[in-house]
Amino acid sequence: MIENSFNRRNFLKVLGWGGATAALSGCGNTSVEDGKEFVTSYVETADYIIPSIGTYFNSTCAQCDAGCGIMGRVREGRVLKLEGNPKASINNGKMCGLGQAGVQAHYNPDRIREPLLRNGDRGEAITWEKALGLINEKVGGVNAENIAFLTGVVSGHDKALLKNYLDALGSGHHYVYEAVAPSVIRAANKKAYGVEMPRLRLDKAKVIVSFGADFLGAWVSPVHFSQQYARFRKPDSGERGVLVQVESKMTLTGANADRWLAIRPGTEGILALGLINALAAAGLSVPGDVAAAVGGYTSERVSKDTGVSAEHIGKLAALLKERSPSLIIAGSAAEGYAHGSQNAAAIALLNQILGNVGQTVEAPSSTPFPQMAPTTGNRLALQSLNDNMAQDKVKVLFSYGTNPVFTAPATMKLKENLKKVPFKVVFAHYMDETAVEADLVLPLNSAMEDWATVIPEYVAEGAQLNIRQPLMEKLYPGTLGLGDILLGLLKYRRPDEYNGFEDFYSYLRNAMVTNKDALGGASKDGDTFWEAALSHGGVKMVGEPVNLSGNVSATTLVVPAPFVEDATYPLHLIPAVSASMRDGRNANEPWLQESPDPLTTIVWDSWVEMHPKTAAKLGIVEGDIVEVASKSGAMKAQAYVFTGIHPDVISVPLGYGHDAMGRYAKGVGANAFKILDPVFDKETGELAMHETRVKVTKAGKRVIIVKDEGPAGGNQMGRKIAVRLTSNKVNLSEEV
Amino acid sequence: MSITNLLTNWSDFRQQHPSAAHPHREYKWAMSIDLDSCTGCNACSVACYAENNLPVVGKEKFAHGHSHHWMRIERYWDNDGREFADQGAQFLPMLCQHCESAPCETVCPVGATNHTADGLNSQVYNRCVGSRYCNANCPYKVRYFNWYNYPTTENVWPEPMNQQLNPDLSVRSKGVMEKCTFCVQRLRASMNDARTQGRLVIDGEVQTACQQVCPTGAITFGNLVDPSAKVGKQWKQQQVDLNIDKQPKDAEEKAAKLRGYRILEELRTYPSVMYLEQLRESAV
Repeated sequence: MIENSFNRRNFLKVLGWGGATAALSGCGNTSVEDGKEFVTSYVETADYIIPSIGTYFNSTCAQCDAGCGIMGRVREGRVLKLEGNPKASINNGKMCGLGQAGVQAHYNPDRIREPLLRNGDRGEAITWEKALGLINEKVGGVNAENIAFLTGVVSGHDKALLKNYLDALGSGHHYVYEAVAPSVIRAANKKAYGVEMPRLRLDKAKVIVSFGADFLGAWVSPVHFSQQYARFRKPDSGERGVLVQVESKMTLTGANADRWLAIRPGTEGILALGLINALAAAGLSVPGDVAAAVGGYTSERVSKDTGVSAEHIGKLAALLKERSPSLIIAGSAAEGYAHGSQNAAAIALLNQILGNVGQTVEAPSSTPFPQMAPTTGNRLALQSLNDNMAQDKVKVLFSYGTNPVFTAPATMKLKENLKKVPFKVVFAHYMDETAVEADLVLPLNSAMEDWATVIPEYVAEGAQLNIRQPLMEKLYPGTLGLGDILLGLLKYRRPDEYNGFEDFYSYLRNAMVTNKDALGGASKDGDTFWEAALSHGGVKMVGEPVNLSGNVSATTLVVPAPFVEDATYPLHLIPAVSASMRDGRNANEPWLQESPDPLTTIVWDSWVEMHPKTAAKLGIVEGDIVEVASKSGAMKAQAYVFTGIHPDVISVPLGYGHDAMGRYAKGVGANAFKILDPVFDKETGELAMHETRVKVTKAGKRVIIVKDEGPAGGNQMGRKIAVRLTSNKVNLSEEV
Repeated sequence: MSITNLLTNWSDFRQQHPSAAHPHREYKWAMSIDLDSCTGCNACSVACYAENNLPVVGKEKFAHGHSHHWMRIERYWDNDGREFADQGAQFLPMLCQHCESAPCETVCPVGATNHTADGLNSQVYNRCVGSRYCNANCPYKVRYFNWYNYPTTENVWPEPMNQQLNPDLSVRSKGVMEKCTFCVQRLRASMNDARTQGRLVIDGEVQTACQQVCPTGAITFGNLVDPSAKVGKQWKQQQVDLNIDKQPKDAEEKAAKLRGYRILEELRTYPSVMYLEQLRESAV
């Protein structure tokens, strides 16, 4: 038989089947041979798919609220890696580490895979029909006034649908909460410039003085600012921009400053007024009322109050006068006090005096669809929700995109108040601290499986609507996107309006195509417009420029005298927002846990930063486990001693210390949110994040800190490894 | 390769690297990193994890020095005894320097690490027996050893996280040394494309993962042989010559200085990565 029919083709057939059988049975899977499953040939592939070649699809990053455009590399139906979308005006093809880790949120083994209904201490898997029916039943059974929807920042069609759902319920209680947000700065900007978030043109500035704004690390839109920063440092003219960072605890931006000024916590406003006074003395024309108001802020007094030497104040004023335009930025370190609004106003006044408004502080565009414009959040919203829960005014609570049980200070007693709400629905990715408290947990699609439109708070140019589209099939059939859930709920309430839409995708596509004229697609037919929008990852819109208006009045501006020291709690606690951990929502992504903190190089744990002087006074050395106690609580962590912090200050990173969420986050470090004191900004009512006073004591144990830096601790031991030069010795304009 | 052939034609296989007599023909991959643009944000490091299937080892193994960050950010302080680090930190992205005369290559007992024709210091995983001599001999400490079989280690790539793994390169197993490859899988794909079209790779056509992600564009990568490549122009303008171990410009006393330098050049490793010195303003 072999002699007759054995040829090459048959040989390969036999070999191939043998190999396949071996491979399949090796996996314990013989369904192909049993005929239960079919093997589909790659000869007829789906469009754009070539086996082993990656295809890129554009979408929008969901790791923070900056809204960078991303490209997902998809191969054989799996998303492998995220790259920046080169056509996105916010990030121009670049990304941060946090954004890169988005794939680890998507493929995370700890994701919730089906709706869970509370049964005692357990969650029982139920179907979506049952879950949505149950919600509808519960919201129908209570007064609409007693329904509350808590979310993080929302924008785009999700926001429009959410509003429609709340309208359909007859309840306007939408609380928007961000655990770490520049809320006070937004309010101060609104007063000083007429807009909450003006465009900051770092690339146009010759000098930047940042009062604790970590724009390279975790502030507003760090990837965008990083690109501007690169042009600021190396403009075509070769005139390198100078960055001065004023803060009590060094941030990543501070670590890149030409001069890092360690300031006594809370005295940022005093320094700003002192600089105006010094500028006036140096001959800058300053309006009479301003000059009179700042006249008392002499170098000597300001130096005494702030701890910044008179020499540095003089040099900085001279530099600001000589090099124009400059840019003064108020960040989280300036706003985090009871007088945060005044600090921010004083800093805005400095910008005004230097003539930067209109130069480096530019007007943003409005968005033509205000119903989709982002609603930013603050902590005040959580406070009022909490008060309502305490008074039993909330009967049904929805929570989406936030984790308040983790991020609320212990003094709020949020977890206890939550128990008073009879029915709590939590939209969640993981079983985080809030989802654990829920009565019904709705598992969300990952950002790589979901449809959405996003309008970021900070848009780099014009107005834009970013699209988030699925980069691959859903990993679990039991998850849904926010849009789909809201649509499902709306179908109960307004069937005539919404039953026509099979899913959120068809709703979204219809909404976009119907409005294509306003979305820049007037000349295209519906399909072409939609395909183009998807392929670009968003659409550009024509927005009206918003005029910068507003003014800081020097006469009404009062900046309080520096702190009186507290004998029991002698140190100031600065809860640090790091580029990777932020408010802790991404703590279950292992790349971020293993990515060393840029300044301390510590991984997989919390730490307490302190100055060598402070450590010496307290008898603490690196690795000592210390207890940090405030009036509101205490936490323990390892001490790290370095010179990037003011001696009156200690700092603990936020985002660590989860007691739920997942295998990579749970039990790693301690939660600094919990020990924050309830002190609020006097004008806006925001929680003053930097107002907590603490005492630090040794807890007895000592550990070896797990960190990336070697035993030399950042000393080059005389070797020429990382080299530094003064900028006047180099001609940058000649460089390539 | 027979031993006779090896010995007879020794100079072809192992010339004194680098040498003007044997210049790179079509490609010499090289990099430059501007330390004044680098902000130390770690995006490059995470991108490298994503591209190159690097395992997350966890706290305990990290403490033992078992971490696998092919691209790591070193952070130095230059306080000179001052009270504060008032000129910030010095960040240095450290990766395999792809030395032209690499100390790791000469000590490998099995030839697992060697130099490619396009100037990469390559690591052949299949050949590696795990002697770790290369690691001991590397002055930059950029070689990472697989002390464990990470694919089967708990919580390294638990289902479905393994679906993220890049199929363009292998997942290394226990007992194998690994290191930065200049994203060789990207280089090879792009070189093959170019060869199919009968041309050379154009500058900017291929990017390493770290270069692609860098928010400030601090990293430049390309072909040093290509006169139009930015990386080559930078090296030339900074007067850093790949083939010499003591750059003449360093001996000159000039008012305007050039920022380009290579780390531990005096060890005569002839690295393929040039750094540009960090700058600080003296007026404040």
